[in-house]
Amino acid sequence: MRLLFILGEIGSGLRRNLSMVISVVLVTFVSLTFVGAAGMLQMQINQMKGFWYDKVQVAVFLCNDGSTAVGCASGSATKEQQANLQAMLESPAVKPYINDFQFESQAEAYKHFKEQFSNSPIVDSVSEDQLPASFRINMKNPEKYEIISETFSSQPGVETVSDQRQVLERIFSWMNGASVAAIGVAAVMIFCAVLLITTTIRLSAFSRRRETGIMRLVGASKMVIQLPFILEGVIAAVVGALLASVTLWLMAHFWLNGDLSRQFLNTPFISSTQVLVIAPVLVALGAGLAGISSLLTLRRYLKV
Amino acid sequence: MIRFENVTKVYEQNARPALDSVSLEINRGEFTFLVGASGSGKSTFLRLILKEDKASSGSVYVAGQNVANISSWRVPKLRRGIGVVFQDFRLLPQKNVFANVAFAMQVIGKSRSIIRETVPEVLKTVGLEGKERRMPHELSGGEQQRVAIARAVVNRPGILLADEPTGNLDPITSMGIMGVLDKINQNGTTVVMATHDDDIVNEMRRRVVELKNGKVIRDEAKALYTSMIPVVGESRRLRDASGEELNRAQGAQL
Repeated sequence: MRLLFILGEIGSGLRRNLSMVISVVLVTFVSLTFVGAAGMLQMQINQMKGFWYDKVQVAVFLCNDGSTAVGCASGSATKEQQANLQAMLESPAVKPYINDFQFESQAEAYKHFKEQFSNSPIVDSVSEDQLPASFRINMKNPEKYEIISETFSSQPGVETVSDQRQVLERIFSWMNGASVAAIGVAAVMIFCAVLLITTTIRLSAFSRRRETGIMRLVGASKMVIQLPFILEGVIAAVVGALLASVTLWLMAHFWLNGDLSRQFLNTPFISSTQVLVIAPVLVALGAGLAGISSLLTLRRYLKV
Repeated sequence: MIRFENVTKVYEQNARPALDSVSLEINRGEFTFLVGASGSGKSTFLRLILKEDKASSGSVYVAGQNVANISSWRVPKLRRGIGVVFQDFRLLPQKNVFANVAFAMQVIGKSRSIIRETVPEVLKTVGLEGKERRMPHELSGGEQQRVAIARAVVNRPGILLADEPTGNLDPITSMGIMGVLDKINQNGTTVVMATHDDDIVNEMRRRVVELKNGKVIRDEAKALYTSMIPVVGESRRLRDASGEELNRAQGAQL
């Protein structure tokens, strides 16, 4: 009976304050979408880190015909130079730092290049001998990149030593920046949402002061009086959180796993099911914020 | 049932206490009128019983319990034992008569079957049989007050507080309301009624407690609105004197 009664009260409260409730829903929707987007960016960064850090390590590029580096004065790297480098990689001075290494010939490099840019016309303008052969080194500790760089960059036949991780780091730092920006926007929006929820609950409490006054006099418990108001705010916020979750899922499903993954075949994107991990967090966040702000508002504006 | 022991209530913004060391006992089943000018402390007296306000000093006992010792989460339980009626009825305009009375039972979690059984009974007691489906605006003032009384007593409280329940009603309707309150009192409910209505007090001949400036200046059984007995001490003469004298006395106090 009491449950039915509380539900009825919630219903009438939501109806009476419909425009305010809708604005609470929309503001929480937008703010939590930003929170979720920041979360998705972080997940994407982790996904790419996991994927690339295993594969991409330090590459020692050998000279080819067109190289202009100091070590390439004698033209394309010779078989001896290549064997020499391989011996150095296996030497006790370097070996402790690396897990393993692979040699990628010009032919293999060309094959990978073609795979990577299969959709792009650039493939047609690149020939096999334009691409450098390389040693692909898998480091035990990627931070020790300097050691490899110092050892190999001055060797004859080496054009350059590149830490491909650095390229990724730049992408990641850009993505981190974007997620910080998203959190910033989210923080402002959440602040708005809290203020709006507070105002809504205040209005709601004011428009129903007759009922609550009578409830108080006939000895209704604090819970029966306050719960409808709190749930009103929580329901509006949860609806907003659900809308945000659906939006993020649609984004992951149709944009990340649709258009973007067709454009960037080699980039692992987070799947739309992974986004579902974010949804409960958003719902809990929305409900928590609404619950706490309505509780604090009621403490001030609804005497029990 | 209700006992005040040296109760003083001072509202911060007001230097003069609203109640000034009031000691008083109202027994179970008694019908008591609380009379006195506006600002004499009648409403404060009622608010202290409900624990709407806290006494500045002294103790208020309701049903044997010192209300100061009732924790805030148990205050609703105290209030379930007390019905309250106001001058302005305070009905819910969008609910019909039945729903208005049922509301008081719903919010404390009474089951639907008990509500369906009890509400018509109570409406019969207050003389509103057959008007369950009427909306408040379709009722006369007297009928609205009867609904308010029904709502106040539907949970069978031991005490009924009435704050000028006839203040908005004409004399004949007022007498009808008094009949209802009397009936409730005869059923064993302690009734405390604050009023300005001398006709009613004189007609009913019940206990009269008179307050003035927060002090009890008269407490008589089966009394009239104005006393027949000259009161000792505190300016009885001023109260009965012409308005001019009264104003001068109040001015002197400010």
